[in-house]
Amino acid sequence: MVSVKCILGSVYALYFHIGETEKKCFIEEIPDETMVIGKYRTQLWDKQMGSFLQTSPGLGMHVEIKDPDTKIILSRQYGSDGRFTFTSHTPGEHQICLHSNSTKMALFAGGKLRVHLDIQVGEHTNNYPEIAAKDKLTELQLRARQLLDQVEQIQKEQNYQQYREERFRMTSESTNQHVLWWSIAQTLILIFTGIWQLKHLKSFFEAKKLV
Amino acid sequence: MYSYHGTIRVLVQVLWAYPLCGWTFGSELTFELPDNAKQCFYEDITIGTKCTLEFQVVTGGHYDVDCRLEDADGTVLYKEMKKQYDSFTFTAAKNGTYKFCFSNEFSTFTHKTVYFDFQVGEDPPLFPNENRVTALTQMESACVSIHEALKSVIDYQTHFRLREAQGRSRAEDLNTRVAFWSIGEALILLVVSISQVVLLRSFFSDRKTTTTRVGS
Repeated sequence: MVSVKCILGSVYALYFHIGETEKKCFIEEIPDETMVIGKYRTQLWDKQMGSFLQTSPGLGMHVEIKDPDTKIILSRQYGSDGRFTFTSHTPGEHQICLHSNSTKMALFAGGKLRVHLDIQVGEHTNNYPEIAAKDKLTELQLRARQLLDQVEQIQKEQNYQQYREERFRMTSESTNQHVLWWSIAQTLILIFTGIWQLKHLKSFFEAKKLV
Repeated sequence: MYSYHGTIRVLVQVLWAYPLCGWTFGSELTFELPDNAKQCFYEDITIGTKCTLEFQVVTGGHYDVDCRLEDADGTVLYKEMKKQYDSFTFTAAKNGTYKFCFSNEFSTFTHKTVYFDFQVGEDPPLFPNENRVTALTQMESACVSIHEALKSVIDYQTHFRLREAQGRSRAEDLNTRVAFWSIGEALILLVVSISQVVLLRSFFSDRKTTTTRVGS
């Protein structure tokens, strides 16, 4: 009873609507060696019934994931229900883009697609009941494992924070250099053009016998 | 034999379905909101669930966005214009689909990157099929309080990361603007001073010819 009720309800709770050729991108700023699991479910709008279909066979989504250097690390087609996973190798902003591959949507669906999405990062990707069963851990051991995973994530984030702070400092120092050197340059240009103007005009007026 | 297999199958189904239902679905996403665009998200919430919506604008323009949260009947629960960051907690008074939208319609050409965290309900317990009859031991309750403390540390880290991203985005903007305008101003200085001289020269050249004509 419980399982039936739960499966019929929306499995991955948050959803949004997407157009036919629309590409929706989500950004995940994560440290390196962090695992990300994304799950999605799509529902097609049925024009005749005026509601969303429960299952939509034949519909697919193209998932493209780019790393902080805009290099594509995953570019795959999945079915109407999909699960994708990747582990970051460089810290930074990763971009997860989804778009529908179906061109038949406009004909049958009136161009509307409902996408349920759930993205879990880092220690949220761990399935603790599974880990307990696999490694045969007692309750206390499992709790300790969970705490260890959390602390590891905090540590990774702190390291990433150090790297980001250095980038920020470099940007600020670059701005400082720009302000300094360009101010000096502009002042020199001002002085020299002023001197040149006066000299040039003086010689011009002397030539014209006005002075 | 048959009934045993049947029971196992139902049990497996329940165990599989359990992580998928009840308890919480905390969604934390960062997305790009183009100019003049509106993005809405929906979630089905049961009555009595305590929910929290938190959002922050990470990059773009004046770092502000319009946010609107509606319940299942369309009643507006939360509506703010041009907010940089806010957190809103509510308890669901009705069953149904709740909708929250972020709008950048007031902006003409700046894209915004918006982060939001929508927590629905409590976190799932570590052992889903446990039904606790005895109280937690001291070790276990210590573990639980450490877990909660670490969760708030991770939450603070996220907020710090977003603020730092915002600060860094402003610093990079400032850097490009300073470089661009400095070069521009230097060029303008040169051009203006040279054209001043050229213009003055042209005035005096014309006047000389007119005076000579008038004279004769």
